[in-house]
Amino acid sequence: MDKGNPRELWEYILTQVELSISPANFNTWFRNSFIVKVEDGVIFIGVPSQFFKDWYLKKFHTLLLKIVRDVSYEFRNIEYLIVKDERRKALKEVRNVRGALELPLDEFYINKSDNLNPRYTFDTFVIGSFNNLAYAAAQAALERPGITYNPLFIYGDTGRGKTHLIQAIGNQYKKQYPGRKVYYLTSEKFVIDYTDAVQAGTANRFKDKYRHYDLLIMDDVQFLSKKERSEEELFHLFNALHDTNKQIIFSSDRAPVAIPDIAERLKGRLASGMSVDIGEPDPESRMAIARKKAASHGVILSDEVVEYVASTMSGSIRELEGMVNSIVCHAQVKGVAPDIVEVRQSLRSFTRPQKNISVKNVVDKVAAFYGIDEESIYEKTRRREVVRPRQVIMYILREDFSISYPTIGTKLGGRDHTTVIHSCEKIKREVIVDNDLAKEIQNIRTLLV
Amino acid sequence: MNISIEKKEFSDAVYKVSRFAERKNTTLPVLSSILIIAGHDGIKMRATNLEIGIDLKLEGKYISDGVVAIPAAVLQQIAGTLTQEGNITIEHTGDTVSLMSGTGKSLIKTVPYDDFPTIPFPENPKNRVVLPGVLLKNLFTSIAPCASSSMVRPELSSIYMSIEGGVLTAVATDSFRLAEKKIPLSNKGTQGKFLIPAKNALEIAQALPDDDIIMSFDEHQCAFVASQGMFVSRLTNAVYPDYRQIIPKESIVEAVVLRKDFETALKRTTIFSDAFQKVKISFNPKKNNFSFFAKNFDIGESSETLSANISGSPLDLSFNHRYLLAALSLTTTESISLLAAGIGRPLIIKGVGDTSLLYLVSPMNQ
Repeated sequence: MDKGNPRELWEYILTQVELSISPANFNTWFRNSFIVKVEDGVIFIGVPSQFFKDWYLKKFHTLLLKIVRDVSYEFRNIEYLIVKDERRKALKEVRNVRGALELPLDEFYINKSDNLNPRYTFDTFVIGSFNNLAYAAAQAALERPGITYNPLFIYGDTGRGKTHLIQAIGNQYKKQYPGRKVYYLTSEKFVIDYTDAVQAGTANRFKDKYRHYDLLIMDDVQFLSKKERSEEELFHLFNALHDTNKQIIFSSDRAPVAIPDIAERLKGRLASGMSVDIGEPDPESRMAIARKKAASHGVILSDEVVEYVASTMSGSIRELEGMVNSIVCHAQVKGVAPDIVEVRQSLRSFTRPQKNISVKNVVDKVAAFYGIDEESIYEKTRRREVVRPRQVIMYILREDFSISYPTIGTKLGGRDHTTVIHSCEKIKREVIVDNDLAKEIQNIRTLLV
Repeated sequence: MNISIEKKEFSDAVYKVSRFAERKNTTLPVLSSILIIAGHDGIKMRATNLEIGIDLKLEGKYISDGVVAIPAAVLQQIAGTLTQEGNITIEHTGDTVSLMSGTGKSLIKTVPYDDFPTIPFPENPKNRVVLPGVLLKNLFTSIAPCASSSMVRPELSSIYMSIEGGVLTAVATDSFRLAEKKIPLSNKGTQGKFLIPAKNALEIAQALPDDDIIMSFDEHQCAFVASQGMFVSRLTNAVYPDYRQIIPKESIVEAVVLRKDFETALKRTTIFSDAFQKVKISFNPKKNNFSFFAKNFDIGESSETLSANISGSPLDLSFNHRYLLAALSLTTTESISLLAAGIGRPLIIKGVGDTSLLYLVSPMNQ
């Protein structure tokens, strides 16, 4: 607390007063008061009327004096002033202005003619080891559009920054080549446009519409799978653009060959240019992303906060962004950047829920997952189809819920703790080499959350 | 505590005092209670909502002294049902109080009175005037409705009281109309001015006795002290607009009409006023009459002409009829005079022979 700041000092006094008097008293007497000024060690408290002044002097003077003396001995005395009505009102308004900080709307502004979101630029794009190849490819494509890498195919898991990268290419392209036409769309929009055009009998106009762009960016092409007519239309569009050396950029959540139910000829064409993947961001990159995101909102976070944020969220950058946004919001409301304790407090909702779940629940879920009778888990049977689930249960109970070996043993039909240790070690070993088992356990975990 | 009060005295006092208690079910329960004090200087009732406060003396017998706080709403309901003659006995034991009146006996839970605030008295007792309570009562009740009911501008929801040269001037305005009333004072020395919230003034007017009271005030607080008790109110701490500027100095036409004619004609015309409550008045010096006109597309239209003494040039003006009618409750004279200064300028209404009142109302756009 800054004892020179009357507002902070008053807030501190209020928290102390609140502890010593009844809520009814507190609300009646302290809600409309504030510190007017601090002068030569005398604190001037502004109160609404004579009633308050008399009562403060009679009832609260010693209490308040004790509280401020605890803060600092430099406060000699407290005086009470009856303040003008306007003055009190004006102060309230000033406070409201702080609370009413709005998110700037232009973040969500999207350009109608090219469908690009101006928020996504290379300036806000964090480059790390996980995406520098993709970034280099994007730069090369921008250098000589339509020639170097055509099409450019970027793939990676959700929330890795694919959309950011391809939109940034679009925005940069607009800047570098004014006059040329860019268009960004998702494959889903392409499908809808096409079906609409077919319905309206204007399929020819549809073809023309997309063929006059100099740079076409299509997001999430994996959604084209099983939509044969749209695929064929994209195939023709692709050929038309490719032949005239117009740059095409695709994004997807998997490599072209791995997209299921998509025509072979389109698959080949998607992979014909440059396919590049964006991996999982390493911790350093995640820290850089968190810092950059916060800085773009004008909030400087301390190193430990950044580290905490980056380490608690694994995977999606989108979730990381959400976390940073929540911190930024807190900072804007309170007026100061939060420290690590507050961050931990406020981000509890983002971190995985506290795992306290009954053993029975885990057994139920796993038994249901493997399609066996849950009773058999507790029995002494050594049938293979029961043994594996039982071991998986032990492994999950140990790894995810940190239950002791003996407890797991007793809960699962009175087994020895060494049996449990053996099972856990076995699964731990196998999970590294056996991809199917790893996937199974991953799926079970999602069931348990 | 053990006291005995005559029933009528008790119900009157409860009726007066409970108006000063907090009516909203807010924070501090003691604020919505009446404090009854019995001591060597008699029996007293107190209540305050931190805006206004009352300290009322009661006639009655006291057997033993003590202090007790009872919810005002409960006392008010009991007081409303007391009919027969006789006394009511109030006895306090533990955390209950028993009320005995003739046949009945009620036990009421009390409220802890430690938190009952002191009722503050103005710090500087130099600013004081003595005047009959009945005058002040009439002044407040007649003029307070002209103040603004919105709290956006605290000065406009207050009555401006100014004492100068032995005259007390009270002004209230809501920026559409303005009422100014003057009362002569017996002692001429005091000077000063203050702003009392109109809401508070109305509450105090209900409780004021008719005989002489002492009105004293300082920057933040005013008090009205009578032999029966003391009434205090918070003052509005703001600057009152210089209302004298807007009063037209000259007039182009004046009409003198009988108050009774004016009232009935106006009331009949308002039936036909539109959603804006517009009534048009016309001064016709040639025919020596004065007319009202109102038109409503749904109902129809109506005009009323009354004979009047007109001097000046012809003029038409439109007003909100409520503001015209409000002028009549401010004066009791048989005829009233209306002075207009031209199109778009305010109309002044005065009672003929009554110099104490000045009522100003702004016209509506034609």
